[in-house]
Amino acid sequence: MSDDKSMLTFPSPDEDVVLAAQIAAMYAATPTPEAGAAERCARAVIAGSMHASTRSSLGGLRPRWWWGAVAAALLVAVTMRPWRAIGRGGGANASTTTLSDAGGVTQPTGLVTVLANGTAVRFDLRLPATANEVAIVGDFNGWDENATPMLRRSGDDSWSAQVPLTPGRHVYAFVIDGTRWLVDPLAPQVPDSGFGPSNAVVVEGGTQ
Amino acid sequence: MTAHGVALLVVVGQLLTGADPRLAAPAFAGDSARRVAVVDTTHKGRSDGPQLPCRVGDCVRQQIQFDAARFDSVTAFALRSILDSAAERGLPTAPLINRALEGSARKVGGVRILKAVREFATALELAREALGAESTVAELEVGADALRAGVDARMLTAIRAARPSSSAVTALVVLTDIVSRGVPAVTARDAVTAIARMPRSDDALLGLQVMVAKNAVRGPGMAVDALRRYLRGTVPGSDPPSAPATVDRKPIRPPSL
Repeated sequence: MSDDKSMLTFPSPDEDVVLAAQIAAMYAATPTPEAGAAERCARAVIAGSMHASTRSSLGGLRPRWWWGAVAAALLVAVTMRPWRAIGRGGGANASTTTLSDAGGVTQPTGLVTVLANGTAVRFDLRLPATANEVAIVGDFNGWDENATPMLRRSGDDSWSAQVPLTPGRHVYAFVIDGTRWLVDPLAPQVPDSGFGPSNAVVVEGGTQ
Repeated sequence: MTAHGVALLVVVGQLLTGADPRLAAPAFAGDSARRVAVVDTTHKGRSDGPQLPCRVGDCVRQQIQFDAARFDSVTAFALRSILDSAAERGLPTAPLINRALEGSARKVGGVRILKAVREFATALELAREALGAESTVAELEVGADALRAGVDARMLTAIRAARPSSSAVTALVVLTDIVSRGVPAVTARDAVTAIARMPRSDDALLGLQVMVAKNAVRGPGMAVDALRRYLRGTVPGSDPPSAPATVDRKPIRPPSL
């Protein structure tokens, strides 16, 4: 019983007053906090609580707003591929475009003129993009790139070829430098059969 | 042995013996062993439409060179069977050969070439049903393209009715083009039919095509507006086409009483 009393000794009212006085003295001896310290502390606590979950999911990396901008720029670069110039590239099938898609072209134009006698058609192609050789292919030459090369006019980037055609509908396309196929966007289009677009020209004959 | 192996053996056998049944046709006696000519004897011209190679009563034996060397042996063999089948059904083979040659020139694989040729043969048959058995090869070819562009077979019949005695090639080419540029098919059909009924209207049809093509770059609605303007200026007393400019426009509900 004596041990229990020693462990559970309660201070007397006098001792309680002394203890309170000691605590008050210690509190008074504490230096005055710097102005704004409490505010900084609160901000740090709030910021830590806001990023706690994100930090754990991204391995400690904190998401930034410019991540989205970088991702968008990469997507545009990969999609547009501005470094790809006309005339280069892989297979011809994968590079069939319209004239308006040709890089560096301001106002590309194609013109088909049925000559007066009705037995021939002249194809004119204005291609401001630099090309070394242009050929016209179609059902009239067995789609042979070497059969009907177009001639370059001196002084500009116009190419021309005159092809004898029978009356009826003929399908054609232009081949630039042997690799890139072009179609005239304003000429009648032939539905893509899985090979790529092409143009059509109608040569009339007789009465309509 | 696989099917490709059998096909290869057959092709080699034909090359060695010259036993291709097409070579027995009288039109290509001088062909080399690797170059096969296909004779198209299927289509007659229309009675009053001498503008196409096939004429009335003149069963044109149209020779189209099918250069087998431009395909691998298996593809060439399969193409021959497709051409045989088309000829048996009375279809012109020249458009099919052209389609195959286009694929070869574009360096497309044999499987895609065969698929495209088969689909085009089917479209040719449907076009013949819609345009009539007396249609020319060019009309069938253009009609098949129109079907593949989304034009209904009944629209082909309407175009044929608008041009009963002359070629429908230009009308079908223009119809196909403006539909592929976003003009609703019904609107395109009405406009093309209205112009095609006019005499000597091919130039007017081609003018419509150019007008729509120039405005289609700004959207289908602008193309339709251009079509209507052109129609009003070309066909006197023409009514506006029956279809709205955009197919997604909801009808206006009248106020409830």
